Amino acid sequence: MIVVRVVQADDLDALFELASRTGRGMTSFKPDRAALTQRIDRVRRTIEGTAPLGEQGYLFVMEDTETRAVVGVCALEAAVGMTQPFYNYRISTVVHASRELDIWTKMTMLNISHDLTGYAELCSLFLAPDARVSGNGALLSKSRFMFLAQFAERFPPRICAEMRGHFDEQGESSFWSAVGAHFYQIEFDQADYLSSHGKKSFVAELMPRYPVYVDLLPPEAQACIAKTHKDTLPARTLLEAEGMRFENHIDIFDAGPVLESHVDTTRAARESLLLPIELDDSAPGDGVRHLVSNTSLTDFRVILVPRAPHSGSLKLTREEARALNLAGDGAAPQLHEQPQAQVRVLSLYPKERK
Amino acid sequence: MLFVRPGKLSDLDQIEAMARAVRPILHSLPPDRRALEARLALSQDSFCADVDTPGEEFYLFVLEDSASGRLFGTASIVASAGYAEPFYAFRNDALIHASRELKVKRRVHALTMSHQLSGKSRLTGYYLDPSLASELAPDLVARLLSRARLMFIAQHRQRFAPEIFTVLVGITDDNGVSPFWEAVGRKFFKRDFAEIELASGGRSQTFIAEIMPSYPLYVPLLPPDAQRVLGEPHPNAVLPYSIHLEDGFEPDGFVDIFDAGPVLTANVAMCDTVRHGLQRRVVRRGELVDAGTPYLVSNGLADEFRCVMVNLTRPMETSPAPDIPLPDAVADQLLLADGDLMCCAPLHHQGDLR
Repeated sequence: MIVVRVVQADDLDALFELASRTGRGMTSFKPDRAALTQRIDRVRRTIEGTAPLGEQGYLFVMEDTETRAVVGVCALEAAVGMTQPFYNYRISTVVHASRELDIWTKMTMLNISHDLTGYAELCSLFLAPDARVSGNGALLSKSRFMFLAQFAERFPPRICAEMRGHFDEQGESSFWSAVGAHFYQIEFDQADYLSSHGKKSFVAELMPRYPVYVDLLPPEAQACIAKTHKDTLPARTLLEAEGMRFENHIDIFDAGPVLESHVDTTRAARESLLLPIELDDSAPGDGVRHLVSNTSLTDFRVILVPRAPHSGSLKLTREEARALNLAGDGAAPQLHEQPQAQVRVLSLYPKERK
Repeated sequence: MLFVRPGKLSDLDQIEAMARAVRPILHSLPPDRRALEARLALSQDSFCADVDTPGEEFYLFVLEDSASGRLFGTASIVASAGYAEPFYAFRNDALIHASRELKVKRRVHALTMSHQLSGKSRLTGYYLDPSLASELAPDLVARLLSRARLMFIAQHRQRFAPEIFTVLVGITDDNGVSPFWEAVGRKFFKRDFAEIELASGGRSQTFIAEIMPSYPLYVPLLPPDAQRVLGEPHPNAVLPYSIHLEDGFEPDGFVDIFDAGPVLTANVAMCDTVRHGLQRRVVRRGELVDAGTPYLVSNGLADEFRCVMVNLTRPMETSPAPDIPLPDAVADQLLLADGDLMCCAPLHHQGDLR
């Protein structure tokens, strides 16, 4: 059984190994043992309530309960930009018009912005290539919306997610070449790495202070603006199905789009239900797939079940309940003896898609 | 003998013929008889006016061959650029983008629409007929025509601002296409360069503020073609460009807003023509002598201003100030009687002899 759960201290080695497989473009999940150790500790302090808002963050791992292997990871930052500034370009519009010459020109500009300061951020999603099967990607991505719906009071009203930008066949970003490279004088990877390691002050020191006129950039750089990396398109589709939208913010390095939403307008917040469970090993296994999460903060878990709730409750097999640490059979080490345990339930996909 | 004098309404036919020959087209010498007539009228009034401080005046000079009465060139001065309106130019700023941590230090140029040249006196409308064949070498004729304006300014300082500048035609290809216009102006105006150049009638129209970029343009973000022509004179403007530099004008501070042609600026008092110009009394004598070094010589009149180039013998700066002998033919051309004051400025001041 595949389960997504809050990271625990003993996940370090597995995380390190997984991070070694991410390659280029993962700014917030790199194989750095010290950084990962800090990251896990930060989750602990967040859950304990001892981390200030700017440090609060959650990390979730996807585990195959049979092999105990960690095959995926994703994260939620509670509030970005509260210590180091969080930079984006905001795409804005300026109209230049002259009645005298009968000219009306709409120009698009990129303005450095800190608009997303204080937003929660969905980030660091990575799923091992051999685990990209049977709804795992959707489960991993959407588990965070279940967490947000369950613990909305721990989050600000708005969330965002940065999508990787477009890179050409040679792995070059035309946007970086046309804009960033002139100011930063370092390689994209280096800028990306520094920026993900809290060295963002260099960004502020070197970045263009004035807005950039998009129409004056080379066409290939313009084409990169808000264009999602082809490998990230499925992730974008998943987030959009949950209610997130591109709202004219892009990354300052590769011009990838930022998706945004209010927490309370996400599909999970509007449509998920808290229901009691009913243990039943003969529960049907061929229905509409649903996300199911427990209500524990310290041991939050999400799985997929192949059935819908019925008559105000959800049937779970013992194996499923165990995966959620809700079963009463003694198999799970930290047993929650809750005969009337509740779970949060949401169809994996919006209604129009079965 | 070639001499420079104020233009008159009776010169209109010849000036119109020159305006139609100018390439690339100049807003300062438009191929439009009515506009030229208005300018000549304004110029006549300006030369005759009693001026304490620069205002709307416009001074148009012509280069005439006294033997034939034919005109071979024009050159003008706008007493106060923009007059009541702003005069627009791109100020060329150097911004330092530096990060101590990254050991990066980069100088980035940015072009900012500026009004700083407003109200300064502007040299403009320079045109020399390429068909001219005279006893003077062509580059000397060009210096006579161009620098006659400085001779006039030197003797009528109250008519002009203490700082002067000139905007020279920038690079265009054989079809009149300006790479800078294509990269910048066209994006805002969506029209051809020549059309806007004439409509602008200078760089002071309200529509410039309405249409042109209100934020600085980062030079490294412009296409290479556009960057290459920044501050570069059109081949037809190379000679005037070097004449201004010889006279002490500074390049690099500004470029033209439409074609990025050079904008040269100077403090009147620091111009060679003004610094090395000497007031001397004339002694008429009969014969023409060819000995000595070339000097610009003018009378001190306004509406009957005359300027020629003749060889004079140094030294002239002994004390008491020596009277300067001039051949009758030259003195007649300059409308000078024995004992009248004239202004003499060496074409190349000592230490700068070529």
